[in-house]
Amino acid sequence: MLSYLVAIAIIGGIYSLLTLGLNLHYGFTGLINFGHVGFFALGAYASALLTLAGLPFAAGFAAAMLIAALVALPLGLLAIRLRDDYLAIVTLGFSEIIRIVITSEEWLTGGVQGLPGIPRPFGGLGVGGAEYAYLGLVVALNGLAFLLVHRLAASPFGRLIKAVRDNEVALVSLGKDPVGVKIRVFMIGAGLAGLAGALYAHYITYLSPEQVIPLVTFYVWMAMIIGGTGRNAGVVLGAGILVLILEGSRFVRDLFPGVLDTEMASIRLAIIGLCLVLFVLFRPRGLIGDGVER
Amino acid sequence: MTLLAIEQMVAGYGEIDIVTGIDIAVHEKEIVTVAGTNGAGKSTLAKAIMGLVPRCRGVLRFCGEDLLAMRPEDRIKVGVAYVPQVENVFPSLTIVENLQVVVGVQNHAARIAEMLDLFPALAARRRVRAEALSGGERQQLAFARALMTQPKMMLLDEPTAALSPNLVAQVFDTIRKLPAIGVAALVIEQRARQSLEISDRGYVLDSGKAVMSGAARDLLADARMADLYLGGA
Amino acid sequence: MNAALFFNLLLNGVIEGLIIGLAALALNLVFAVARFPNTATGDIMTVGAYAGIAVQGLGISSTVLQMLAAVVVCMALCVVLYRLVFRRLQGRSMLAVLLASIGLAFIIRAAVFLIAGPEQRVFQIPLQRAIDIGGVALQPSMLWLAVTAFGCMAVVFAVLFLTPIGRRMRAVADNRALARTSGIDVDRVMVALWLLTGAVCGVAGMVLGINTVVMPENGWNILLPAFAAAVLGGVGSPVGAIVAGLALGIVQELSTPFVGFTYKIALSFVALIVILAIRPRGLFGAAVKVR
Ligand SMILES: Nc1ncnc2c1ncn2[C@@H]1O[C@H](COP(=O)(O)OP(=O)(O)OP(=O)(O)O)[C@@H](O)[C@H]1O
Ligand SMILES: [Mg+2]
Repeated sequence: MLSYLVAIAIIGGIYSLLTLGLNLHYGFTGLINFGHVGFFALGAYASALLTLAGLPFAAGFAAAMLIAALVALPLGLLAIRLRDDYLAIVTLGFSEIIRIVITSEEWLTGGVQGLPGIPRPFGGLGVGGAEYAYLGLVVALNGLAFLLVHRLAASPFGRLIKAVRDNEVALVSLGKDPVGVKIRVFMIGAGLAGLAGALYAHYITYLSPEQVIPLVTFYVWMAMIIGGTGRNAGVVLGAGILVLILEGSRFVRDLFPGVLDTEMASIRLAIIGLCLVLFVLFRPRGLIGDGVER
Repeated sequence: MTLLAIEQMVAGYGEIDIVTGIDIAVHEKEIVTVAGTNGAGKSTLAKAIMGLVPRCRGVLRFCGEDLLAMRPEDRIKVGVAYVPQVENVFPSLTIVENLQVVVGVQNHAARIAEMLDLFPALAARRRVRAEALSGGERQQLAFARALMTQPKMMLLDEPTAALSPNLVAQVFDTIRKLPAIGVAALVIEQRARQSLEISDRGYVLDSGKAVMSGAARDLLADARMADLYLGGA
Repeated sequence: MNAALFFNLLLNGVIEGLIIGLAALALNLVFAVARFPNTATGDIMTVGAYAGIAVQGLGISSTVLQMLAAVVVCMALCVVLYRLVFRRLQGRSMLAVLLASIGLAFIIRAAVFLIAGPEQRVFQIPLQRAIDIGGVALQPSMLWLAVTAFGCMAVVFAVLFLTPIGRRMRAVADNRALARTSGIDVDRVMVALWLLTGAVCGVAGMVLGINTVVMPENGWNILLPAFAAAVLGGVGSPVGAIVAGLALGIVQELSTPFVGFTYKIALSFVALIVILAIRPRGLFGAAVKVR
């Protein structure tokens, strides 16, 4: 039971990093990113492939962040020129292209067969110890990321971010460069998603295109909405509730043993869909918000 | 008979009140001017009458019927027609379609023919999309669209804004003739002097309140009015 | 590539392009009048195809009746979605409506999975001999699909441009507030819009299902190419949707021998990104109007 809780906490921590990144995108700069899972996938496969090639974990993690952030640069340059709706579609398409490349390039990624045997750190600590150590790593990285975002928000750069969100025109007239600010924020958020991908890859130790479908992006959107956009404290709450919903559906399985795997996946899909609709309709500012849209 | 009766109207968007307690009346076959500086709340008043602002309270009646209880699409049925300040035609519809699309007209074909008689410039271009019209033609189409339902009152929001001087005279001329065909007009205008000259009465709005009102003649003669709102002599 | 292969691919491309075009048409109708990209479009199409399969399961082999069932079911579904969700979101941000439509897409797909199962289904089309034109195999069923798709488009245009309700739809698309003050009951126009959209989705879902197989993911897979076509053709433009859909379908098919099956799906998207990089407002500008 305890090890199960640890597992849930690790997954929750990974979603919390993803949500933090998305919150940076939408909550702080208003960029609608419907392709978050693309950055997650890049980070996951990058770190997995590098460590499988014998590089140390640290290098894998760093590469995960770097690659995701670098890919975000051209996408961001395109994105900031687009209308909201186009942006949503383009980012969604970006993540699908990433998934298609992963599916097609079997020599590199294993294609639909997947990529097994991804190394897991802390092997020397025994089975239980490694789990706890991994949880520690996830929590520590979350802590660092939160600190980073917090510092960012409080820094002159962060005030610039808020100014971009509130009044882009005034900012331009002050001679500031809102485009540059938005791009940098977009890259940082993507880097966080890449890091989350690396943490996921080394925890699950197996990757396949099935794990990077657009549904994951909307898991993260849901977590952000539950927590309330633009609020970092809400991120943890949202990610926590998301994991409870995802894992809770497993208990449904125990109650009704006849339910098949595919049916379970559909039920989860329906629950996420229902949550999205209900939150948008009735609690657009999140669980702790007052139900009025900003 | 009183057509439009507004008492203590408060209206606005979001949390702010823009119109902050206005009393206005328009009687049958009367032309009434509402003047006021930029941002005084004139357009907001017009939108409130038509039901297009999120919040509006007070008394708002037309021919004795409570407009506040009606949806915007039902308000024209009691006899009020509206020409907005901007975007007052459907750009992708042709001239004829702009007139056909109006709901609540008894005999569309006959009424469209009447309108094209009234505005000959439109008749020549009846199959042209409204987006291709000149400013003056567009304003004529907006008038024609509003007149389709044979309203008792026209609500005109700055009908002469952004028009060249000779077109301005033409528009005022059209308004002046409205009472003859049984239509009253509530004209919102920044060209207060010209508008008051064809009006029976007038109101002056400032910061969402009517600060002056009276017969058009008296307002035109008022020294304070001349100073503040008529732009000198 | 020899000529026969080329023409075969071209033919497939036209059919695929018509399917993309129909889906894009459904997207653009909603976009023009209700002002949001309806990501549930694809999954509504899927429901239509399954309605047809259900009718087939009853022993009714008439494709026309199956198509009719698909259309009716999709129309009903669209009106229900509007009444339950989209109407309540009027005046809310684009993102809010967009997310709600994603949620609805998930719910619909999950329901299809749970009710119909993950297995592939096929429409039993009576086999007819292919017409051979110089090595190009033209299936009569393909011809019928093309005729149906064009017929559906013709009906949409007739409704939009020849009927009073179509005129009102275009008026609401142009300017909702002015439409209301012209006495147009926007709610009724929206119901008509969703009925029309549902009909297009029903036909599109059936054409897709007959052309290939029926699977729960069918609609979602066509959504991205349809979005690409919608943007390329000018968001909100019905004509543009069809032209761009055809172009994308043909390009996708013709490129298959070179890029392989999986990448052909990515192709329409790469095209979209390239076009948007050059022209951020789409190929024909931002025509947020029914033209
Ligand atoms: N949709 C809106 N939401 C919030 N505030 C608005 C909106 N429309 C107008 N306002 C505000 O209401 C105030 C009055 O606007 P209104 O358009 O009524 O002025 P006006 O008297 O018609 O001015 P003008 O002569 O320039 O047309 C302005 O301060 C404006 O900023
Ligand atoms: Mg105004």
